[in-house]
Amino acid sequence: MGAAIEIIDLVKTYKTRNNKVNVVDHINLEVNEGEIFGFLGPNGAGKTTTIKILLGIIYQNSGIARVLGKEVGDMQIHREIAYLPEKPYYYEHMTGIEILQFYASLFGNIPKEKCQQLLERVNLANDSTKTISQYSKGMQQRIGLASSLLNDPRLLFLDEPTAGLDPIAHIEIRDLILGFRDEGKTVFISSHELSDVERICDRVAIINKGKIEMQGRLEDLLRGGRYEITASGVPEELGRKVEGKDWIVSFAQDRLIVDMPDSDSPNELMQSIIAAKGSILSVIPRRKRLEDLFVETVRNKEVTK
Amino acid sequence: MRAIFNIARTTFGEAVRRKIILIILILGLAFIIITPGLGILSPRSERAAVTSLTLGLIQMTSALLAITLTIYLVPNEIDRRTIYTILCKPVRRYQFIWGKYLGAVATIGLMLLMMTLVLLAVFAFQFNDRGFNAAEAAELAKAPLMFFFQMSLLAAVAMFFSVWTSPIVNFFLTSGTYIAGTVFNGVFETLKESRSTSPILRALSEAVQAILPNFGRFQVQNAAVNPGQVIQSEAVYFGTAIGYALLYIVVMISLASVLFENREV
Repeated sequence: MGAAIEIIDLVKTYKTRNNKVNVVDHINLEVNEGEIFGFLGPNGAGKTTTIKILLGIIYQNSGIARVLGKEVGDMQIHREIAYLPEKPYYYEHMTGIEILQFYASLFGNIPKEKCQQLLERVNLANDSTKTISQYSKGMQQRIGLASSLLNDPRLLFLDEPTAGLDPIAHIEIRDLILGFRDEGKTVFISSHELSDVERICDRVAIINKGKIEMQGRLEDLLRGGRYEITASGVPEELGRKVEGKDWIVSFAQDRLIVDMPDSDSPNELMQSIIAAKGSILSVIPRRKRLEDLFVETVRNKEVTK
Repeated sequence: MRAIFNIARTTFGEAVRRKIILIILILGLAFIIITPGLGILSPRSERAAVTSLTLGLIQMTSALLAITLTIYLVPNEIDRRTIYTILCKPVRRYQFIWGKYLGAVATIGLMLLMMTLVLLAVFAFQFNDRGFNAAEAAELAKAPLMFFFQMSLLAAVAMFFSVWTSPIVNFFLTSGTYIAGTVFNGVFETLKESRSTSPILRALSEAVQAILPNFGRFQVQNAAVNPGQVIQSEAVYFGTAIGYALLYIVVMISLASVLFENREV
């Protein structure tokens, strides 16, 4: 599989009143064809700026950005990609079918039946004659996804596709995105919904203050879980001893809560608690979550600074 | 061309539903309807005064419509992020700008047509007994026709400013350009022809006159107000004015497209 997106040493600078700020700061990234790639970062990290550069809407100061093997700005790319911005507005006087027909007309060669087929695919066939002003947020997002599929794109850019949706709409959009992978499409998602990203993405990159802090396969990044052990009746001597270890420990009165990496065996601690006549209340193995990794990465950066 | 047409069509559909545009139009139409009823005019001058007043109202209303409509066309698309869903399709930025502009022109054309039809109906009702016939109606309609080209030019100026200024700044810039282009051309002409004008001032007024759109070229109300006043060759006068408008529009929209091409949205 080739690279759907290639970013080499990309820089985007904005001038503020007093100085220049690198909103995108020498980033390198590669997204393979056919994968769902999560692009994560806190607000103002440079996610949308990067996407806009890839779409040719704004221009980089230096570096290389290639989409589907072509330099950004090549109009041929626009025939093979789609973009769904965060909270897009659609012309409210138009109906669902008219919106699709309008966007289809911008390509010039899309048959009218395709619009109807896509409405069916996103479960809006029965609402096709309603105006956009009558659509709920979830319906507007689905019409957005339908319009993104008009040209049968090889690569989709989705900016916060599930933001602000109710749980049902959330699941519907997530399932639609998973369907894109089955069709062999590449999906580049920028999102704050980390649980979604964890469920659907193959690889992720975390960007913070314009720099890529971490990228890789989710299964590699999330390798290594933790154990959470809760015990009561733990003597103070043992509690102090455990507090001295490199674990996350909470010890108050005779209650002990320990959060340890799974590379350390919990058996030794459990035996010590039993030997000291304490009671083990629970031992919970916890898989490392993307949220932990995200918070860790962003916080570490702040501490380092 | 298809992209430009479809963007124009969508812009038109959106524009004719904008409340502020409809309010301005309704106020304009209301004033056109009540003007002949104002009993303050002497019967002798009534027709000339009504013609002058109603045409002035149409011009003022359509100028306000053209400015209010056009200054928001591009900024609104950016604020609502609709522009991203369009520019990520195979649409060039100049196509977007031309599409938005032509949509605005179509809206202005429709509004002017409605005001003209109401004007003719009012005249037919008011002056029917004093021989208002089809020939006079056609004569009267020439002024709104020229207003259409004047307002299309005004919309092109607003479009040019809209790609690099905020709507508020644009409102003042476009309004200022319209007032200057309507009123001051006569002043520049006088300065050019006067023997007492210094060469520097003459060169300066020539330069400003060359850049500033001459909205005065489209004023043909005098002939409608005073039937004694005749334009020597209407075909030449109208043809030159329309040609001037079209040329200026192409230059303005092309400049807007070039500026927009490099603008980060």
